[in-house]
Formats: sequence, structure tokens, C-alpha cells
Amino acid sequence: MLSLHGELDMASAPLLQSKLESAEIEAAAIVVLDLQELQFIDSTGLRIILAAHERLQEHGGELAITRGSQQIQRLLAITGTEDHLRVITTPDATLV
Amino acid sequence: MSRSQGKPIGVDAQLVSDPAVGLLVKAGAVLSSSLDLTTTMGQVAELTVPRLADLCVIDLRDDDGSIRDVAVAAARDGIAHGLEELRSRHPLDPGGEHPVARVIRSGEPELLPEMTSMLLSSFAQGSEHARFMIDNGYRSAVVAPLLARGRTLGALSVLRFDDGQPYGEEDLDLVCELARRAALAIDNARLFSDLHGAEQRLEAILVNLAEAITVVDEHGQTVFANQAAADLLGADTPEELTSARPGTIMPRFLVSDEQGEELDLERMPGRRLFAGEQQPEPLLVRNVVRATGEERWLIVRASAIADHETGRILYAVNVFENITEVKRAQLAESFMAEASRVLASSMDYAETLQRVARLAVPQIADWCAVDVLSESGEIERVAVHHSDPSMLTLAQRLDQSYRPALDEPLGVPEVIRSGEARIYTDIDAAALATYARDSEHLALLEAIGAIDVIIVPLAAPARTIGAITLVCTGSTRRLSHADLALAERLGRRAGTTIESARLYTERTRIAHTLQRALLPESLPEIPGAEIQALYSAAGELNEVGGDFYDVFPYDADRWMLVIGDVCGKGPRAASVTALARHTLRTAATGGQSPAEMLGTLHQALRRQPPGADLCTVCLVMLAPAADDHAHARFTVALAGHPPPLLISASGAATPIGHPGTLLGVLDPIEIKESAAELHRGETLLLYTDGVPEAGRSIEQLGEHGLLELCRQAPSLTLTGLLEHIEQAVLQHVEGRLRDDIALLALHLSPAKPHQA
Repeated sequence: MLSLHGELDMASAPLLQSKLESAEIEAAAIVVLDLQELQFIDSTGLRIILAAHERLQEHGGELAITRGSQQIQRLLAITGTEDHLRVITTPDATLV
Repeated sequence: MSRSQGKPIGVDAQLVSDPAVGLLVKAGAVLSSSLDLTTTMGQVAELTVPRLADLCVIDLRDDDGSIRDVAVAAARDGIAHGLEELRSRHPLDPGGEHPVARVIRSGEPELLPEMTSMLLSSFAQGSEHARFMIDNGYRSAVVAPLLARGRTLGALSVLRFDDGQPYGEEDLDLVCELARRAALAIDNARLFSDLHGAEQRLEAILVNLAEAITVVDEHGQTVFANQAAADLLGADTPEELTSARPGTIMPRFLVSDEQGEELDLERMPGRRLFAGEQQPEPLLVRNVVRATGEERWLIVRASAIADHETGRILYAVNVFENITEVKRAQLAESFMAEASRVLASSMDYAETLQRVARLAVPQIADWCAVDVLSESGEIERVAVHHSDPSMLTLAQRLDQSYRPALDEPLGVPEVIRSGEARIYTDIDAAALATYARDSEHLALLEAIGAIDVIIVPLAAPARTIGAITLVCTGSTRRLSHADLALAERLGRRAGTTIESARLYTERTRIAHTLQRALLPESLPEIPGAEIQALYSAAGELNEVGGDFYDVFPYDADRWMLVIGDVCGKGPRAASVTALARHTLRTAATGGQSPAEMLGTLHQALRRQPPGADLCTVCLVMLAPAADDHAHARFTVALAGHPPPLLISASGAATPIGHPGTLLGVLDPIEIKESAAELHRGETLLLYTDGVPEAGRSIEQLGEHGLLELCRQAPSLTLTGLLEHIEQAVLQHVEGRLRDDIALLALHLSPAKPHQA
């Protein structure tokens, strides 16, 4: 599980990208992104998350996310992301 | 024998005309006239003869306890010599019975009014001595101790021979008083000679110390200086300093404190010691040699040599530590830090260079000019500053009339071509004449009055892009190689910064050009409707943005409005926006529905090389009613994009549309079309998420904010509405936009022309 804080945008996205590209993440069955502390995502951030989800799917894994701030929820709704990523209500409810 | 403590004799009416008082007054004059012990004592002894005595002897006790005669005076010459000679062969025994020895031991005076032969023999130092005393008729004597600061230094003896008046009690008081005064003088003289001895020992040490040391008395007279002090204070030898009268040395220098204020010399630690301050703080001073303009930074410390009994300060020992190197380095660092800060503060390098020129004056030079090489190879003056503003006009005239050309052999052109710094010092009339092109040029140059000049290149990493000129006209200090090194650093820093700024501006120009090519040149005319677009690219613009919009005919009766957002910035994002517009237009000609068009675009994006090019799009297909354009039906298809707003005539705004999957990454996508109607006086507003997301996590404008803005603006024109929204966004982000914003609005015009 990875917890995100603050803003996920063009500036901070590469950091997340390198974390998501690490070997252990690639091999995991399910990766949970805890967005509860995240204030903001822009399209770059979203792209990183979706790209990671696609890669995990290729290996039979998946990416799940928690609920986040209002802006994040709106973004996920508008872009239809919520239909594709599993949304977990609390991080403890992870199935590993 | 009578003994008494010598009572001080005051000058009262009774004694005023008394010869005794006259004697004391004369003695006082003698004693304060010179510190030469022997001479003084000799003079005192002489004063007493012959009025007070036939023979006077002053004996001093040496450190080892032996008694030595330092002065002998007698009416008859032979006696003085005789006694001296006798004493040298038979010195007085300090432990013996001779009155001088006894007085020295006891510290008490002795009056011997009548001395018999037997008495004389009893304390004589041998028979020869006895013989001498008896033969010369020693009859009466007073021996007074020389007392100073509680110690007996010796004795003063007066003697009268056979034919003289025997001494009495008054004589005892007088002689004691005389002795007291003589003793004080001896003490001071000894102190001085002790000091002198100590000084000489000290000098052997001090003379070789690197630090400059001077010893100054309360009158400001330098009594000692070492060679380093001589060098520092501009003297050839220390003697030049010690023989100089007080107040004649310091005027050679311009002394100021760290803030540059001229220093009152009373603030110097040495002076403050004499003013009573116990431990004056060391002082950092800037000392400039007036004659040469040489600048030094010194730390001055002073400590006192005091009289250890009275505590009175006798001398101040000044130590001057030369920290010029260190201070210069520190000043250079803080200058560079400040200059760097100024250079980095703005992209307008003409402005920042002007500020840097102001920084350099007068800290480094009397004036500073910066020239930059333009693209066409011309040397352009971008900054000039002089501490005297009236001189600036002169500089401008010089620049306008005699602008240097790049091919000139000397000066700024030469530095720019060679990329090397130059320093010229002690510029004289002949040098100026060589450089001047004509007599007017020479006159201007002479008016500027340059004595030293430094020219350094504005050194960008790959090439020299200009030069900085520093000129000293000799008003405060001269330019040296230390200044050259600092100027070179400045030239490199400024050169690099300017080059970056220029490249930045270059990139920005390219970006803007490209951006313009990717957006529609002009919006088509839709009958019965007004259409406007607004695009605002984010702040640090040197990259092309990812927002796009388009308006084109779908078929004979219908129009397509497009707004979209490609994730990211830069060339790749730019090419995707081009792909999106092209793909959508092509799909439209194939008669696809809006939802199908988005599916086609999605496929096209999936076919791109991997890199997850996300794209959100909002499509509105508009079908104006054929008859009177009173209304228009429209269909909305959304792919991951915020829904357009239907704004009523009163300003109430409603989002229209069903959310759909964003394009390019997730599979499968889900797009649902929605239909609605636009009536006359109403506006349809399409926007990108840069608008509601303005303010990011701090305090977003939000969708509600946007709705509020629309509500506020029913009377505005379409352009007015868009600008109103843009202004609000900019205010929300305090002028620094982080994401692009794009707005596309269509207004169904009422039958009558709308009053703006």
C-alpha cells in the first residue's frame, strides 16, 4: 500500500511513477493507493495511476484506490475512472 | 640630634619672602624640567650651596642595598671631587653608623647641629674618611631621607663647616621638604628608566612581530613603534613615528568605520583608555592612505600600562591587526550573493543589470556600465550608474557619440572578442589621448576622469555576450587585482543568467508560435449565434499546452463544438491535440455520432506508441432551428470531461451531460449522449478543468464557483463573460496560473441586436 499526501500533479507525478515501477509493486497482486490525505490530482497524476493499473492488469494484478478529497472524487467520476478501478472504503479492508 | 617627620612647608604669609620658600620654588622648577636624574640631582645639590650649605650630598640606595652618591656640590670645588673620589674607594656601609646609612635604614631625618671630631671618627669609613671630614671642618649637618611612595630611595645631606651657622629645627624642616620633592622626581625618573629598560627588552620582542604596535602617551605622543607599525602608518622607520608630534600622523589617512562613516579618533580604543574606559572594545576600521588611495581593513586593540600604585594610565599600547584580505573576501562574498539575488529576480535583464550596476557603485568603483552584444553584432549599452547623477549625462553623451564598434582594438570590444578581463591602472593623459578618436572624445574622457578601469566579459557558458566596465576616478579608493577577480566572478554570473533568460525568452516565442498553429485561426460564423473562445496558457510558459478547442460544420445544418484536454505539456501533448482535432473532424465527415466519434478517437489514441496519452473531450453537436434561430437543439457527449453549462438569460447555470470514460487508456470506454435545447438569450459554455481547479488544493474555485461567476454576469457580452471568468481564475491563483484554461462559449442571439 502506498499513501499519498498533498498534490499529485506534473511536478510530483514522476516520484509516484518511479515508486509504482518498482519490482515489488509490479509483482504484487493488488496495490492500494491511499488517497485520503491527497488534496489534488491533475491529469498527469491520473495518467500515472491508470498506466500503473494497466501494467498490473497485464500481470494479473490490479490497482485499488481509497476515497479522496472532493476534487479527487469529482475527477474520478467525470473521467469514469471509478468504473474501472476498485474503490476501497478503508485501507484496512484490503484483501491480500 | 633632633628628629622630626619633615612637615610639609606651606606658603603662608610669614614665609612668603623667606629664602627657604624661594629655594623650594627654584628646586621645583629644576625637578620638573628634566628626567635626567644625574643632571637634576646635581642642580638640586647646587641650589643649596652656598646659602643653605657648604656641602650637599645626595645619596641613592641601589637595588642591591649599596649606597651611591649621585650628586655632590660644594662651595669649594676641590671638596666635591675629593668626596666623590673618597666615596668611590670607600663606599658607605649601609649597615653602619654613618648618618646617611642610618637615615636610609630608618627613614627618619637626623639633625646634627654640632659634630665633634670624636663623632666624626665614630662613623667615618676608615681613617682617610675621618681625616677628610675633620680637615675640612665638618661641623653641622642635616640628613633627610628621600621618601617616595613609602620607600626610602636615599638621603639628602647638607653640611656646614666650622665657620658656618649650625643647623637648627627650621633647617631640618626645609631640608626634609627639599628631600621629599627630590625623592618624587627621582622616583618618576626611575620609573621612566625602568620603563625604558623594560621597553628595550620588549622592543627586542616587538620589533620583530608582524603586527603593528605603537605605544602612545596621554598627550598622543608615540613613544614606541615597531617596524610593522612604521610600514602601516607610512613611515620609513619607527623613529619617524616617535619623533612626530601628536596629531601629525593620523591626518595622512581617511579612517572610517565599518559602515563607511568617518571615524572620530576619540573612538579609537587607545583614546578611550585615557578617557577612563576600562576595557575598550576592539574596533574594526577602514583605513585609506590619502596619498595613494590604498585601502586597508584593520582591527585595533588597546591595552593600558598603568602606574601600579595610583592606577593612573601612563601609556596605551595599540595593536593593529591587518585583516584586509579576510575583510575583502567577506565583502566580495556578500556582494556576489546580493548581485546573484538581483540577477535571478527577474527575466528582464536590462532591469537587473541596472540594479547590479547600482550595487557596484560605490562599493567597488565610482561608476559601472554594462554593454551587451546584440544579435546583429552591435554593442548596446544596457546599464550605467555613477554615484554622482550629474555625471550620468556625460556618460550618455559619450555612449551616444562614441559607441564602440566590435572591431576596435581596445576597451569593451577587445574584451568581448578575446573573452579576457582587463585592468588598466594609473591612466594618464597620454593613455587617454591614444584611446580617444578625436578632440571632443578626449574632452569627454578627461571629464570622466578615469584613473583605474576594469573591463570584464559577460561570460556565458559558450560565448561572451557583453562586458562590464568598472571605473575608478580616485574619489575614495583605487582598483586592484582583488577587484578584478571579483568583477570576473560577477561577469560570469551575470553572463550565465542573461544567456539563460534570453534562451528562455526564445523558447517562449517558439512555444507561442506553435500554440497558435495548433488552435483554430478563426471561429466560423454560425447563423443566429455568437461564438467566442478564450485560451490562457499557464505561467512559466516555455512549453506548449495540452488544452484544445475546435468549431467546425458537422453537416449542412449542424455544427460541432469541441473542447478537450490532453494530459501534459510539450511537443508530445501538442501532437496529440493535433491528432485529436484531426481525428474528430475526419470522423465527423464519416457521419459518426458524437459518441462514435469519441470511440474513434479513443482507438486512434490506443494505437499510438505506449505512453498512455490521456485525453478528455467534450463534444456538443448543435442544430440551430432552420426558421428563426429562436432555439437550437444540441447533443452532448462527454469523455472524461466536465459537462458544459447551460446559462439562462438570468444567469442561472446548469450542467448538461452524462459522465463518460476518458480516452486513451482505460478499456472499454463508456459514452452516453444527452440532448437538450438552447433558447434565445441563452449561452452554452464549454470549459476545461483548469477553471474549476484553479487554486488547486488551497482553495479551489470549484464547479460551484464557476456557477456563481455565471450567475453574476447576465448583462455581460459573451467576451465580457469569458473575461470575467478568466479574471476570477487569475485572482484565485494570485496571477500565477499552473494549468491552462480554455473557454468556448456560444450565445443564441435574440432577434434585436444585444446592447453591450
